[in-house]
Formats: sequence, C-alpha cells, structure tokens
Amino acid sequence: MDLPPFLLEFLQALAAGVMVGGAYALMCIGLGIIFGSMRVINFAQGDFLMLGMYVAFYLTTGYGILAFLGPYAGPIIAAFLAGPVVFAVGWLVHRFIVSRVTGLGAAASEGAGAYGQIIVTLGLSLILQNGGLIVLGSTPTGIRTPLSRSSWEIGPILLNQARVVSFLVAVALVVAVYLFLGRTRTGKGLRAAADNSTAAIYMGIDVDRAHRIAWSLGVGITAIAGGLLASSQSFQPYVGFDFVIVMYAGVVLGGLGSILGAFWGGLLIGIVQQMSTLVLPYQLQNTAIFVVFLLIIFLRPQGLFGQLSERT
Amino acid sequence: MRRRPTRREFGAGLALAGTVGLRWRPAIAQTNEVRVAMIAPLSGPWARQGQLMRMGADMAIEEINDKGGIKALGGAKLTLVVADAGDSTEKAKNAAQRLLAQDPDLVGGTGAWLSSFTLAVTEVTERAQLPMLTLSYSDLITGRGFKYVFQTSPTAGHQAAETLPTAMQLAETAAGKRPKTVGILMDNTAAPMSFAKPLRDGGLEKLGLKLVVDQVFTPPLSDATPLIEKVRSSRPDFLLLLLSAMPDNKLVLEKLDEFKLSKGRLPLVGNGSPLGTPELKNIIGADLLEGLLFSVADWPFKGDEEMVERFKKRTREPWMTQDGLSAYGDMWILKEAIERAGAADRIKVADAIRTMNLTTGPAALSFPGPIRFDENGRRQDVPMIFAQWQNGVPVTVFPAELALAKPYWLKES
Amino acid sequence: MKSAAARRRWAIVAVAVVVLIVSLVIRSAYYQLVLTQVLLWAVLSLAWNILSGYSGYFSFGHAAFWGLGAYTVTLGMINLDLTPWLGIPLAAIVGGLAGAVIGYPTFRLRGHYFALAMLAYPLAMLYVFQWLGYQELSLPMKRDAPLLYMQFADQRAYVVLALGLLVVALAVSLRVENSRFGMALLAIKQNEPAAEAAGIDTWRWKMRAIMLSGALAGMAGGLYAVVLLVVTPESVFGMLVSAQPLILALFGGVGSLWGPVIGAVVLVPLAEGLNGELGDVLPGIQGVVYGVAIILIILGAPEGVYWRLRDRFAKPRAAPLIAAEPVPAVTRSDARPTNRGDLLALRGIGISFGGLRALDNVDLVVREGSLHGVIGPNGAGKTTLFNVVNGFLAPDAGEIRFGGDQLTGLRPNQVCRRGIGRTFQVVRAFPRMTVLENVVVGAFVGAHDDRAAEQMARAALDRVGLADRAAALAGGLTTRELRLMELARALAPLPRLVLLDETFAGLGHDDLGGILDVIRRVREEGVTVLIIEHTMQAMVRLVDEFSVLDHGKLIAAGRPDEIVRDRRVIEAYLGRRWMDRVTDAVA
Repeated sequence: MDLPPFLLEFLQALAAGVMVGGAYALMCIGLGIIFGSMRVINFAQGDFLMLGMYVAFYLTTGYGILAFLGPYAGPIIAAFLAGPVVFAVGWLVHRFIVSRVTGLGAAASEGAGAYGQIIVTLGLSLILQNGGLIVLGSTPTGIRTPLSRSSWEIGPILLNQARVVSFLVAVALVVAVYLFLGRTRTGKGLRAAADNSTAAIYMGIDVDRAHRIAWSLGVGITAIAGGLLASSQSFQPYVGFDFVIVMYAGVVLGGLGSILGAFWGGLLIGIVQQMSTLVLPYQLQNTAIFVVFLLIIFLRPQGLFGQLSERT
Repeated sequence: MRRRPTRREFGAGLALAGTVGLRWRPAIAQTNEVRVAMIAPLSGPWARQGQLMRMGADMAIEEINDKGGIKALGGAKLTLVVADAGDSTEKAKNAAQRLLAQDPDLVGGTGAWLSSFTLAVTEVTERAQLPMLTLSYSDLITGRGFKYVFQTSPTAGHQAAETLPTAMQLAETAAGKRPKTVGILMDNTAAPMSFAKPLRDGGLEKLGLKLVVDQVFTPPLSDATPLIEKVRSSRPDFLLLLLSAMPDNKLVLEKLDEFKLSKGRLPLVGNGSPLGTPELKNIIGADLLEGLLFSVADWPFKGDEEMVERFKKRTREPWMTQDGLSAYGDMWILKEAIERAGAADRIKVADAIRTMNLTTGPAALSFPGPIRFDENGRRQDVPMIFAQWQNGVPVTVFPAELALAKPYWLKES
Repeated sequence: MKSAAARRRWAIVAVAVVVLIVSLVIRSAYYQLVLTQVLLWAVLSLAWNILSGYSGYFSFGHAAFWGLGAYTVTLGMINLDLTPWLGIPLAAIVGGLAGAVIGYPTFRLRGHYFALAMLAYPLAMLYVFQWLGYQELSLPMKRDAPLLYMQFADQRAYVVLALGLLVVALAVSLRVENSRFGMALLAIKQNEPAAEAAGIDTWRWKMRAIMLSGALAGMAGGLYAVVLLVVTPESVFGMLVSAQPLILALFGGVGSLWGPVIGAVVLVPLAEGLNGELGDVLPGIQGVVYGVAIILIILGAPEGVYWRLRDRFAKPRAAPLIAAEPVPAVTRSDARPTNRGDLLALRGIGISFGGLRALDNVDLVVREGSLHGVIGPNGAGKTTLFNVVNGFLAPDAGEIRFGGDQLTGLRPNQVCRRGIGRTFQVVRAFPRMTVLENVVVGAFVGAHDDRAAEQMARAALDRVGLADRAAALAGGLTTRELRLMELARALAPLPRLVLLDETFAGLGHDDLGGILDVIRRVREEGVTVLIIEHTMQAMVRLVDEFSVLDHGKLIAAGRPDEIVRDRRVIEAYLGRRWMDRVTDAVA
C-alpha cells in the first residue's frame, strides 16, 4: 500500500504519539493519585520514576534475576515488580517524612502545609538524584531487549513493540486502578479523604493511612511506568527531571483529581508532542506541549475531566 | 522591644563564613610540588564524562611523577587539584573561582568538558592569567580574543570541513560510488550547531551534496519515530549523525534498526566522542553499532597501544575514549610547558604553551598532529580522526598513518 | 517613638552596612563571588515574595523574568553594544512587561492551577531560545572600556551593585508591606472572595504585584548575566532557577521581609560550601546533604525560619498601622433617608448551574431604609441570589438596579464600591490579621488614605460593639464576635445597603438577641439591610418585609404577618401533609 508521504508521516506520528502517550499516561496516573488525594505537588515524582527504571534494570540486565524469563517477558515482569518495591519505599518515605507536612499534620498551619510540602519534595528529589549517583553510578544504562527495536507492522506503519507493550500495560493498569478506587473499600476511602478530609475523619476513615496508601500507590505506579520505559530508553540518576514537566502537564490537562483525566491527559501530551513535529520544527516539540497546556488551562481550567468547585 | 533581625542575620552570616571557610587558609604548595587543576563535572548528568577525564589525568600524573617529576624544577612532583563543575554554569564558575582563590600556586589547568562550562570557567581563568587546556570545540571558546585558553580539539567549523570530504572519500574508495545526497540528524546543543552551520552555509554544496532531510531536535528526545520516518521517506545516500547524549543515541540507532535502515542499508557518519562510549555498546549491542563511522577530535591511535593497555588495566574500562585521552595528554602538555618555562609561574607556562611545537613524546602521542597553538589558542593542521566500530570496539581507521585498522563503507547485505 | 516602619528602614541600612564591611574584609575573590550570588538570589527571592509570599499566588515560573532580564542585557551587549548600565534598567522594564503579559491570562487561575501554569512559561521560553540559536552566549570582554561595560577587575564592585539591588528590593518590599498594597495582597491571600466583596480590586493588585515582581526579578537576572558572563537557556530559564527563590523564601520565612534574605544567607553558602568541600570527595554527597538539611529544617519550622524565630522570641504584637487615637463618631449626614424609594430592584433574575435552574424569574424590591428578609427552605437559592447581587455570579436573565444604576455584570469589588456591603454564610475572616486589620481591609474602599481607613474601621467596630477586641487575632474569636466583625467590615466603608447572609447561624439565644440589637441600630442609622435567614422566629421580630424563595422561585412577598399565614410559604417549609393539618387547625 503506497500512501502519500504526508499521510504516512501523519499516521506514523499519530501512532508514535499514542504509544509514547501510553507511557506518559501511566506516569500521570501515579501523579494524579497523589495530587488528587493529597493535593500535594510532588517534585520528586520523576525520581521515583527513575527508581522504577533502575529496579527493572537490576532485575534483568543488571543482576539477571529474571534472566530465565528471556529477553521478552523479563523486562515486562521486571517493570511490574518495580511497582511493589517502590511502593514500599514510598510507604517509608511518607511515614517518616512526607506525612509531617501533608494532610492532617499540616492542616492547621497556613496554606495547609503547602510550603513544607514543596520543600520536602524538592529535598527528596535532591536526595534521590544525588544518592542515586552515589549508589548507582553515573554511567547511563538501559535494559537490552529486542522489543525496543522491533515493530509490528500495519501496512507501512510501524508500531514499536516495546512501546506497544507499555501502552497495553498502561491501559490494563488504568482499568485496575479505576476499579480499585471505585469498588474497593480502601479505594473509596481514598476518594473520600481526597474530597474532604475533615468529613472523612468524621466518617471514620483513617485519613493519614489513606494518604499513605495514595502516596505509595502513586509512586509505585509511576515506577512501573519507569520500568516499562527502561526498555525503550537509556537513563542515569538525573533522568527524572525530564519527565516531571510532562507529568504535571498531563495531570493538569486531564483535570486535577480525576484518574481517568490523568490517563487522557498523559495520552494527549504524548500525541501533541509527537504530532507537533508535522507542523513545527522538531526543536519546538516541548514548547508545543506547553502551549497546549496553557491553552487548556485558560480555556478550561478544570481540565478535561476535573471539577472546579468553590463555595461562596 | 522587637529584636532587630540584623543581629540574627549578622550572626548567621558570620557563622556561615566560618563553616564555608573550612579551607580558608589557602593551600600553599610544598616546595617540591607543582600544582595544576582540573575542573570537570563530577556530579550531575555529565558526571561520567568528568570521571573519565579524571581517570586519564590521574594516570598521567602518576606516570609523570614516577618518571621523576618536573626535572627543570629539581624533580618537583606534579599534583592535580580537582574541582567539581557540577550541573550548571554557576557551579562551574564557582568551582573555578574557588580553586583560584584557595590555590594561588596553580600554574595551569584543564576543563570543563561541556562547552558552556568551559566558557564560564575560562572567563575566570583568563582574568587570573591561568592557562587552560580544553577539549571543548565550540568556536566561541577561542573566538573571544582570550590569551590563556588553548583548545586541543580543532574547532567545530574545522571538524565539519574535514569530516565530510573524508567520509565521501572513504565512500568512493570503499563502494566505488560517490554519494550525491545527504541527511542531517542532530541535537541543538552548541557543538553540533557549530559543526553543522558551515555545512549548511554552502559546505555541502561545494562537495556536490544535496541536503534532502535536515532535522534538529532539542534533547532529550522523547521518541525518534517521526524523525526516522522523515529520513526513511527522503532516502539520503548517507546520514550525518550529530548527537551528544546517550539517550538520544539509543533512541535514534534503535529506531533506525526498527525501520530497517541499519546494518548498511543507510550508511551513517557521526561526529563526537559520545558515539564511541562503552555504555553505548552495553545499551544497544555491538551488532547495531558495527560499521558506524564517526569523526572525533581525539581517539587512541597508532603508537598509543601500550598506554591504552595500561589505562584499561588500571581503570577496568574496556577502552579509552576522548575524555580520558585528552585529559591524559593535557597533563603531559602542562608538564612539557613547565619544563620549558623552567619555573612554577603561570604566565611563563602560558608562554611556553604558546611557543611549543611538540611532535614527539607522550603529549604528542595523545593528540593527532603537532601540538602547536596559534595566537587564538587554536591548533592548526590537525587531521580529523575517524573511528569505526569494528567487532564491538571503536578503533581509529583514518588517517592511514594513525590508523589501527582499515575502514570500510557499510554496504547492504 | 519610632514607628515600626522606620525601625525596619534602619534595619535595611544596617544590613547594607554589614554587607559592605564584610566584603571589604574578605579578600578572597571566591567569597566575594559567593556573596554576590547570595545577594542576587536574595533579590530574586524577594521579588518572588512580593507576588507569591504576600498574595499566596505561588509562582513556579519566576525564571521567566530572570531569564528575560539576563538575555536582555546579554543580547543588548552583543548585538547593540549596549552597556549593562543601561541594559539592567532595560531588563527591569522587560521583566515588568513580561509580568503584565504573563499575569493577564494566568490570574484567571487560582491555587495549584496558577502555580503549575507559571511553571510552563520559563520552560517554553527555554526551548524557544534554544531554537533561536542562543544556546551559548558570552558577554564580550571589553578590554578597552571595562568600566563602561560593568567589567570590573575587583569582584567587590559586583558585591556593591548586587547590594544596591538588594536595598532596592528590600525598600520596595517594605513599602508594599506598610501600605494598602500589602494589606490587599494579604487579604487576597487569606480570603480572596471576601477581599473582593470588601471592595478590593483583586485583579489590579495582583497585576501590580506581578509586574513589580517581574521587574525586580528581571533586573537581578540582568546583573546575574554580567557576573556570570555566560548565559545559556538552561542556566537562566531552568527549573532549578524557578525553584531557588521558592526554596529560599519558604526556608527563610515566606511572606516576611527578611525571610528571603535569611534563606539566601543560609542556603546559598551552604550549598556552595558543600560543593566545595565534598564535591570532589564523593560526588553527589553534597546534594544529599543539602536535601537532608532543608527537609530537617522545614520539618522543624514549616513556615520558615523567620516566623519560627519570631513566634519563639517576640510576642506576636499586632501592630496597628497608626497609633491609637480617640475615635470620632462617624455617622452619615443623611442618616435618615427622606425618600422611601426603591434602593435595590431585581427583575426577572435567572441563573442555571449545569442542568439545574437555581434561580428562575426572581423579582425583588428593597425599599430604602427598610430591613428586608429573604427566607426559604434550604437549597432555595438564597445565597445564590446574594452572589448574583454581589457580582460573584452573572445571571443569564434579568437585571439588577441599585439606586438607578445597573449592577448586572459588575465585578464584586465594583459592586462594593457602589455602596453594597456583604457578609458570608461561612464567616470569611482573615484569621492571621487582627480584628482591626480585618475591618480596615473593608474600609479601604471608602477611604482616600490609610489613616482615614483606620478611623473608619474603628468607627465601624464601635458601631457593632467590638471596639474592645480590636487588637485580637481574628483566628481566636467566638462565633458571635466573628459575625460582628464581618458586619463591621461590611459597614466600614459606610455602604447604603448591606447583605447579611445567615448571620444568626451558630448563635445561641443570648448572642442572638445582641446581634438583633446591632442590626436594628444599624438600620436606625440609615443603612438598608437585606438579610437571609431561615429561622423564622428571629426574622419575624426583625424585618419589615419578606421575600420567600423556594426552589429558585419567588413564591411570596409581603409583611411578616401576611407571610406567616401564607399557605404557599407554610407548604414550602413544612410540606403538603403539614399544610393540610395546619389548615384544618386554623379552619
């Protein structure tokens, strides 16, 4: 099938955008859970992503623990396992550090502890990045798998296998999270705590615990996204920085507080990023993201799925 | 009465002056010691590069001292002082200023790998009249009219002018056909930008090459698909890759493979030492890299074999890259300059560097061409080295007198 | 006795002198460079503080102004041979303009949305500048005329220049803090809708704040370029640059004059010292130590060092703007209205939320000098009605006339200026300000200067009987006192009409009586009162006329004795079943 070159480029860019967007979507969901439940701007989210990448790396190429699964299944399982590991790390971090400046602990002080949160998460980011340098070394690494350079073909359109896999996993996880938040008791508790923590306490919901779960879940999911990305790209301890902006743009785009919104927001960011190259110079790819981001914020501040509420 | 903040502020300021001034007493060189500096990123995203530089410099220092130190100064030991340029131009400048303030006896130095860091550092060292050697090759570094900056790499413009004709020559020799069209894929950092500018401004035309695809991106690249799609649809005879960061290298090279453009179907010519790092092989795999040709200002060549073996054994690195080699050579250049100056005096050392013309010795063996700088601090008549990935190791293949293997132009198999 | 403001001015001078002495004493060019950086980052942090610290609108994008300032000076020098002596003031102008351009669209957002939107600006600029080819720019060395181009051999000259900027920034901050500018920003921070309803033109003050902030930041960025001599997009537009003023201010004490300075004095040398000492020993450890340090300190002092120290060592004395003076009785000369015409007239007001018609064709007429009650069951739309009158909501049908003027479409602060005051269902106090300051905020709208505002505020407090609590912090008041305070704030600018929204909620029997007296007295003094309540008992004793709403519609209007017997009203409150019982009983 011979397509005119522009159409071919268009479709290819769209495909790439959707798949890259899938990875972004997963990251955004992690951030969205945290932001939606705790109203915390977590500057260290990118660094938990980085942790996920390294966990997945060490489970496969690094220490070869999962080598028996082969180069195809190994990286995928490793990515999944990165989730619980970083969940545990997040649990400890919240218990000992973050909980002191968020949620109820901070509700009394001005700005509901917003100031403390920012500094704490920035400090956390510094510790993770630089601690990562000390422990993990500065040499860029990546997971070696044939998935990242093979593709499935739909006519002349090539779909990178590693990206497709991460997209499918992202969708599956979104569904799982959605069900968790909507159907399970813990999930509902999380949503209640997010909506109105004072009322939630009166309802007998342990808000502190709800926040801890939200935080750990949020960083864990983002870590899985990292683990999946580890097959597609190389990384070093400071890589988290590059993704923080994308994550925030996606979450705000989709609507703060909405999980589904975070998914669509991340996806949209991916699509905008890749398809902008059709009309703009490649160098302005990320500027295109910001322009779209700003446009959405101005025209529809609650994002695609969020809700603006302000009681007078 | 409310306490004045001034007292608190004053006190805090003094206390801090105390803590920061842990090394407030400037280091005074022992009588039998000559001190030189290295300012390089040791933390932050470019930490790996700085560490490689340090490895090379350390090895040179050890050799120099084992062989008797600076003979003109009665066997004085050469000591290396290292400062971390960190991850920003501000930190790099501070590092330079700190070194100079705390170490007034420095006579020379090397740094700072990233061209913007080098620019910031040399603003300080120029005013302190400290001669600085650097491998950074952006034209601006030696285009400011400074007297104390010496660029061991040929400028980007010069590299561009050399790379293309040689690549085409190789193509003609190997494949029997001269390429007619070319594509450029590059990031927009300073070095690739200065490399590509003269090419776009008529350089390619002069060689009879038509530019059919020209893509510049801002690193880090998120996905290479749209880029490579454009390359695929325009089908250049060969592709010029000007990439400086590992993540981009991986994305681009793997995407080329995915689009069935690798392994000879689309010959690649690169520029810059990031294309020859061991981690690239670890991350991508030797098979994808086979035949990749890249030009670089400095790479181990004929005559270096023994030194490289020592480096490999000492550092357990699989081979030596430009970072280590340059830093190694810089130390030897400084040693030669101090010998010629006959004194641990930075101005005399700078003079010695300006007038030197080394063709033999470890310094000359670390850089292609004679070690000779013009009044701007640039080297002239420097042959461009080409290295090619062969069997999982990038080896120098051009020019013939420096080559350790023969080049070949990848053909479709 | 010197006023607090004068004392702080002397403190600024003292700090400047200290810095000068320190820089004279220190010989090392390195320490002087660090000192210059401390001062420059302090200026950026003060600039940030003016916008974000005082108003609560957190900006994560101040690098935009800093970077534009840096590039103005750099490009000016490279392309136009413009000396930084002119370039830096130009950078201030560019920064101010950028503030206006950025603020205009972005102030439509609040809270986290605002902060994240601000994040996008410098990063977008970063990519654009790279695309434009400005990856690395270096200020050309002018060997023949160094002084003309701000190129000094002695690093101390830069310390002096940076100090100059710091003094300017401190002076500006002080001026803002001690004027209604600062009060307005503080009010906005604590409760924006209340500020708006109290007559503060929140938009204008926010725009002024961001322009001022941008100008200072741009200026500092310009000097930064001169000091560093090399400008890259990453180094002036990057995330770290945006984060720095934030960290310094939050650490040092956000919203205070000295907080950013404390932050800069402690953190900048700390980071640099760590780099120097540990950077080559174990690369990366300096980042870890710094991160741990700021976490530990912020856990100990969540709002910053300055506030923590002040709470510990200085009694939180709510300093009045001016020393206490006897309060003249301020009453309107035309206290008793001669005409009993219609003061407020609503015709056909309608508004929908989503699919719900919250108000439907509502007519309401309030006669001047009357006490008019709006009642109805919960959810009838009473507060919505007030919000429409006030300007918080725009009706999609109908019009509002106030004394002959059109009110529809006016912003809340403009409505307030026309002479309408408002209290809220949930008391909107400014908890960290004193009672007096809370009320003064309301008085600004009617006063031509700060002194007059304070007098009016005191008079208003007197009117409601809260004069003895003037110096108490609003956060510690009882419900009754809060309600009275809100009333005072609404009354301070001597409005013609006050809207009281569920003033009796949460009050016990005795308190209720007291407030009723106050309201009656207010009406005696000539103020028209429109009051929402749903406790019939209290209202019946108080009002002249009722309007009854149910499900967004006006179902009855008239005198209390008529309304109480109105079938529709009883049905609305009690439902059909009760209705039948009542009619049976009555009949």
